[in-house]
Amino acid sequence: MNIKYSKEELLKKANDLELEFIHLQFTDIMGVMKNVSITTEQLEKALDNEIMFDGSSIDGFVRIEESDMYLRPDLSTFVVFPWNPKEARLICDVYKSDGTPFDGCPRNTLKKVLKEAKDMGYIMNVGPECEFFLFHTDEKGEPSLETHDNAGYFDLAPVDLGGNARRDMTIALKQMNFEIEASHHEVAPGQHEIDFKYADALTTADNIMTFKMVVRIIAQRHGLHATFMPKPKFGINGSGMHTNMSLATLDGKNAFFDANDDMQLSETAYHFLGGVLKHAKGFAALTNPTVNSYKRLVPGYEAPVLIAWSASNRSPLIRIPAKRGNSTRIELRNPDPSANPYLALAVVLKAGLDGIKNKIDPPIPVTSNLYDMEDIEMKEKGIESLPANLYEAVKELTKNEVIKDALGKHVYEKFVDAALLEWNEYSRYISEWELDRYLRKF
Amino acid sequence: MNNYNIVVADSSETSRKKVCGLLAKKGYRTYQATDGAGALRIARSIFPDLVIMDINLWGINAFEVASIIEEDKLSTVVFITGSPNSDFYEKLRTMNIFAYINRPINPDQLYQIVEFSIINSNKISLLEEKVEKLESTLEARKKIDRAKGILIEKLKITENEAYKLLRKKSMDSCVSMEKIAEEIIKKYL
Repeated sequence: MNIKYSKEELLKKANDLELEFIHLQFTDIMGVMKNVSITTEQLEKALDNEIMFDGSSIDGFVRIEESDMYLRPDLSTFVVFPWNPKEARLICDVYKSDGTPFDGCPRNTLKKVLKEAKDMGYIMNVGPECEFFLFHTDEKGEPSLETHDNAGYFDLAPVDLGGNARRDMTIALKQMNFEIEASHHEVAPGQHEIDFKYADALTTADNIMTFKMVVRIIAQRHGLHATFMPKPKFGINGSGMHTNMSLATLDGKNAFFDANDDMQLSETAYHFLGGVLKHAKGFAALTNPTVNSYKRLVPGYEAPVLIAWSASNRSPLIRIPAKRGNSTRIELRNPDPSANPYLALAVVLKAGLDGIKNKIDPPIPVTSNLYDMEDIEMKEKGIESLPANLYEAVKELTKNEVIKDALGKHVYEKFVDAALLEWNEYSRYISEWELDRYLRKF
Repeated sequence: MNNYNIVVADSSETSRKKVCGLLAKKGYRTYQATDGAGALRIARSIFPDLVIMDINLWGINAFEVASIIEEDKLSTVVFITGSPNSDFYEKLRTMNIFAYINRPINPDQLYQIVEFSIINSNKISLLEEKVEKLESTLEARKKIDRAKGILIEKLKITENEAYKLLRKKSMDSCVSMEKIAEEIIKKYL
């Protein structure tokens, strides 16, 4: 959906638009977007891949002795910020000083797995459904858990601040070449969802990063705080990022569709499904990378807990939406928006490819609501649960060679270190819940 | 005096209450905001006639909040400051109205600046509306002339006939002459 510019066209465009700043964006292992901002005069240098930054100053990136990193802009990602027409951005790949791709750059990790898929004859298409909350700030300007739906803020006219903000987000995204498919209020108070059109996996991962940036900035312009935290409030739905995936063959046909099958799914689709289900525990640490992620994966809030699949029911991990033909796809329901989209898509694709390679058959689909299923019944059917917390997820990851291979040594080690650090800090922390429960009791 | 709505955005409760009290005496309706985001939320809800903003507002930087309010045409902002420096004047230049309220607040100065700012910003927005209208009319005129030129050349008719043809098409199909002109230009270019 983006226009591919040549270097000369881009320089001319930057000049014509009288741009002042260009932000060179890349994503760190934890999924946080980083920026190196340059002036227009330096754009030519940037397009010649000569912009350098100190990798050691970014958390968990590299050791001090190999800190010189180069940014290689992807020219198809050029876009001007609608809220500030004097600034534009380019998404970059990180390269080492010897000119080879840097292993710790998540975009490179995804590209590596995409290449593996391409060698097998497949292109991955992904359409995400990203949910988020819009909260008010308190009197000091700090984000609070107050939503516009129930905030009795000065008892003003009943203006839907969140709805207006979402409308402006949609407009801004459209100006940035997004095709918006749906935009609506979600189940929980203050919760919203904006869906954009599917694209190849790399473009979609870029789009998810851009999307989060746009949502945060436009929310701020409306005096609201946007958060992609998976479960900000106990007792209401959390924010997920349901991921619709399909494989296309190199000539553009949907590889998941087979008109002759009972469910009109191809053998490739079944094996992909089998692979994803087999490695679901292993990749959970990437699709659900925070302590908080696992508080979303509990029964009763439309979030999956059990590793199973179904054609219609929304309680298991994977659902096969009813559309067939070129729209045949599978919907993975556990990823949440705190995930690094590059790594999450890389590991899920790798799991599916492993299924295709080793012809892994999926278990029989479930038809009943899994939330209501008895434990014994689940045991009989061999249905397992997703990891219950970040620690279990990391343990599963360390046991899974396929997923480790998808990440590569560098990302794997840095990721596990960071996740365990987070887990250890969390385990030692005395929470409000404990105080409420034990302070008076003992 | 009109019943103007004014948002007072100031993180200091004493100062905020004082300004609001002074404004209320003169019959203005006031709304209070304690932080940048709060000011934005109120501005978007009521589109006030004026926002009076302390430059040391908590949360999002006051200048940023002010430029969002004016860029999105929610209102006009007048700052309160006790220490105007050259940097401040530089920022003030980019605002709708080149005026500010000095601290400590002198009631007469406050009233004068509030009145001045509201009247002037209303005048400015009226002018802006006019300019916008004129610009769009001019734009339409240009397109119609262009389409006329095409028709004269293609159909070998006079200018008057071309105009009449355009007008007839416009009336027959119930769309503006500008739209018809656009379609003709698109078709023949």
